[in-house]
Amino acid sequence: MGLIAKNQIKPIPKWEFEFTRWSLWLGLGLSLLVLIIGIGVSWFGLADDIIVPYLWLLVVGAFFGLAYYLFKNTKGAYRFEIWKILGIIGILGLIMGGILFKAGLASRIDRNLEANLPYYRQMVPMKMKVWSNPESGYLSGKIIQITGSNSFIIKDFNNKDWKIDSENSLIRGRVTIKVDEDIKLIGVQTGARSFRAEDIRPWNGMGQNMMKENYQ
Amino acid sequence: MIDRNCQKYEDNELVALSITEGQYFLCLMKRYEEKLVNYIRRFTYLENDDIEDIVQDSFINAYLHLNDCDCRLKFSSWLYRIVHNQAVNFMKKHKQSMRVNIDGNDDEFVDWLRADTDIEKETIDKHFSEYIKTILEKLKPEYKEVLVLKLFEEKDYQEISDILQKPMGTVATLLSRAKIQFRKIYEKENKS
Repeated sequence: MGLIAKNQIKPIPKWEFEFTRWSLWLGLGLSLLVLIIGIGVSWFGLADDIIVPYLWLLVVGAFFGLAYYLFKNTKGAYRFEIWKILGIIGILGLIMGGILFKAGLASRIDRNLEANLPYYRQMVPMKMKVWSNPESGYLSGKIIQITGSNSFIIKDFNNKDWKIDSENSLIRGRVTIKVDEDIKLIGVQTGARSFRAEDIRPWNGMGQNMMKENYQ
Repeated sequence: MIDRNCQKYEDNELVALSITEGQYFLCLMKRYEEKLVNYIRRFTYLENDDIEDIVQDSFINAYLHLNDCDCRLKFSSWLYRIVHNQAVNFMKKHKQSMRVNIDGNDDEFVDWLRADTDIEKETIDKHFSEYIKTILEKLKPEYKEVLVLKLFEEKDYQEISDILQKPMGTVATLLSRAKIQFRKIYEKENKS
């Protein structure tokens, strides 16, 4: 006690502990959120076979570990066995990620990230065959004829011609609507050979694996 | 004045009082100093001076962290946890190992040995000084510390769980394994 008095030692203020505690829980909450999004988008990538979700699988692994580490550092966490903590995090992630996927939010997150996060699509590329799925809303090919201010015809890479309605479509990236331009379209199939484009993008710029030569 | 009032307060009340009036911490120090010294002596080979240093540092550490005391737990568990960490860190720093320091008249320990190890009391009495300490030395450190807390500090599973920061199921498993390992070593020693 003499040493405490001599060195004028005072208890560390409560707010410092509270701050640390809340920071830990906030970090845990954010980690779980990213983990859930990661599982949702990975699920979307694996189940719908649209994107290559390697990056998201890495995110899932990293944030699963981070969530476990942060939880282990909360007060009272020692009372839980490791397998229980890992199980709870895993099950929570799978349930919430599954809901995210089933509700269609995972694909929306993927598209939003593509629109707003530079280089996202290079890191999470879309599968080649996806762009030959007009019934799912994905089409690609070369422009062969301009038929109007908001319409043109493309030849897809299976040599089929498509009438494209580009009214109200959003042109992303360096794409020019002109003959011989290779493009990708996201939209809705409106007939046997007609498609309404909502999104027009250049064919290249998606990394090596998006090269036309690799396309099957 | 405060010294005389110590007895009428529970630990958690003293913690609350110590935060605003440091002198009350003296009550907690007096209440636990001897117990903590004995606790460290139970599982280390340290000299008295070192033990006193560890206890003193632990009290300073506890005083600094009073506002972080989880009062849902027993204060004693929280304090034992701090002392345990301090002692383990000290031993690591000085490259010392754990031990279980017992005396031959410890009835609870003898009862524990007899309960599940199939070792007769006569054998225990006869061989106590010869074998028991040697066998305990050979137990894994995690078994030693859980034995000290259960048999010598007389802590229940919840308290041991809070002190060692392990789930209660793990504490029970460690105790059970300690018995098994003890019996194995004992049988091996007897054969040889």
